[in-house]
Amino acid sequence: MALLLRTVARQGLCLSRSQFGVLYRPAVPMGTAAKEEMNKFWAKNTQLNRPVSPHISIYKWSVPMMMSISHRGTGVALSSGISVFALAALVLPESYPYYLDLIHSMTFGPQFLAFSKFALAFPVAYHTFNGIRHLAWDLGKGFKIPEVYRSAYIVIALTVLTSIGLAAM
Amino acid sequence: MAALEHPGDSSVLVLMVRIMAALVRISSVCCRGISPLLFRSSSLIRPLAVQKKDRDCPYLISAKIHATPSSYAGSGSKAASLHWTGERILSIALLGLAPVAYYYPGPAVDYSLAAALTLHGHWGLGQIVTDYVHGNFKIKMANAGLFLLSTVTFAGLCYFNYHDVGICKAVALLWSK
Repeated sequence: MALLLRTVARQGLCLSRSQFGVLYRPAVPMGTAAKEEMNKFWAKNTQLNRPVSPHISIYKWSVPMMMSISHRGTGVALSSGISVFALAALVLPESYPYYLDLIHSMTFGPQFLAFSKFALAFPVAYHTFNGIRHLAWDLGKGFKIPEVYRSAYIVIALTVLTSIGLAAM
Repeated sequence: MAALEHPGDSSVLVLMVRIMAALVRISSVCCRGISPLLFRSSSLIRPLAVQKKDRDCPYLISAKIHATPSSYAGSGSKAASLHWTGERILSIALLGLAPVAYYYPGPAVDYSLAAALTLHGHWGLGQIVTDYVHGNFKIKMANAGLFLLSTVTFAGLCYFNYHDVGICKAVALLWSK
């Protein structure tokens, strides 16, 4: 119903040829690609300094939403960490064992080491387990809302257990 | 939304359109709130015209479907689809590399990890750029910067694998203390 009203309001009533009693208008005008349309939309609206409607500041947070952005967040964090590590490898003069010993000589006790292991293992574990959850979705499985929440809690539980287990090693 | 092919259905549709039109007119008179934003002012005219058309040819009133005929498909490139599949295959490969790295550490796994990690990160960050960066020039710049970052990352990891202890050994050393 909403679709009908939107198409009526937006496209007016120029008749296209009817086929089999069904009226339809081609959705792609003049062959511009979707990307072009999107860019034009953004360019026009930012240029006019139009305010964006509140979205994430007003929408109620849910577990799936938080899991999703955390997946992205851990991904960015891990990727940045790897890039920083690679850059350091290229720039720093000494070898890895040297810097590792340097850090160990500065540490504030075994709790610090265990905590830093946990801090490293946690994003890896979370991103990995949630990644498997994503792959299940890509196979078309687990989209029902109760299933989404169940898999979310399983991922969280596995992440915590794995991180603790890895930090204890 | 399926097409309504039977003449009998159109009357229900027209009734609903008339109700919506009335609501729009009432709401715009009473409260200049959200409604005018939802319906552009020109839409006030549209429902009237729909009713008029309805009288002319009732059997033609049906759902106006947002259809993209295959003739508009353009070049029909499968690049995006293949990219998506490649991303999933790489994710699964990376998943499989983890136990291999644990049980069979060595240069082969080191370089495979370097490649898989860098590419997985590159494609992941690429999706983030696609989501949040708008405007042709900004997109080009962001992707160029990303490409540079990924290249340097891969170079650094390979350098580390060759001149230093290697990724597997590095993790093992880090965890040994």
